[in-house]
Amino acid sequence: MSVAPAELEKTDVEPVTDPDVPWITLVWNDPVNLMSYVTYVFESYFGYPRSKAEKLMMDVHRRGRAVVSNGSRDEMERDTEAMHEYGLWATFQKDA
Amino acid sequence: MGRPFRRIRAGIRVQLEAPERALLARLLDDVGGLLDEEATRRDGLPSGGGAPGGDPSDDVLAALEASLTMPPPEDPAIARLLPDGNRDDPELAAGYRRLTEHGLRERKRAGLGMAAEALSRDAPVVLTSDEVPALLKGLTDVRLVLAERLGLRTDEDVEELHRALTRANDPEDPRTAVAAIYDALTWWQESLIAVLR
Repeated sequence: MSVAPAELEKTDVEPVTDPDVPWITLVWNDPVNLMSYVTYVFESYFGYPRSKAEKLMMDVHRRGRAVVSNGSRDEMERDTEAMHEYGLWATFQKDA
Repeated sequence: MGRPFRRIRAGIRVQLEAPERALLARLLDDVGGLLDEEATRRDGLPSGGGAPGGDPSDDVLAALEASLTMPPPEDPAIARLLPDGNRDDPELAAGYRRLTEHGLRERKRAGLGMAAEALSRDAPVVLTSDEVPALLKGLTDVRLVLAERLGLRTDEDVEELHRALTRANDPEDPRTAVAAIYDALTWWQESLIAVLR
């Protein structure tokens, strides 16, 4: 991702993964999507609060990917499709 | 150069100059056209099948076969617009593609067309609440295609390209113009997000 965001607030965010739900959607880092845009997408589509959206965006940026949602396979296919519509690089898989 | 976008009561006003709006509209249409070509290639039936006047059941069968195999797009830029849904499991990826690719492609084309049309209106262009996300996604799609053409695959590639172009300082290098447009689009997109905040 490119363009640094303003200073981020330090917040404790619960991990998105719930052990009971077996499928996950991942978003992968890419050199095109802006940090501000990725945050905007996580807020707009998932309805995540700004702090959680920014935390996930930073995970994508620094670690190369982040789990952005979990649920049934159908739900994860839907989330992946939505991310693709926004131009983000997303995949879904069974949670290992 | 002033701010490219401004929030006003009626929506988001586009403050880009007319040539900039025209350039952006054209790029949005170009990417829509790229998806069209891909669609034609995709929906076009395998060689031998689907000739006009042929047995319609052959067409149906050929189309069915095409939809069952569904390989990823050959053009890497299109593959970036319509990526695999899974990187390790080809069956899962093919299933996802069967389920989603057609709809995704159609929605992308519709959004690109909507954004291009909005920018082609007489000034002052004020974007409606539907047109704003269409333009944001459209800017992303255009930047994804340009980045692919520039060979930008990692964060480091972006920095390296700028270093190389600055070092060479060669206005004849076709990448110089593409990179300048890419940078302008990046700035416009960043500005559009900023006014939404």
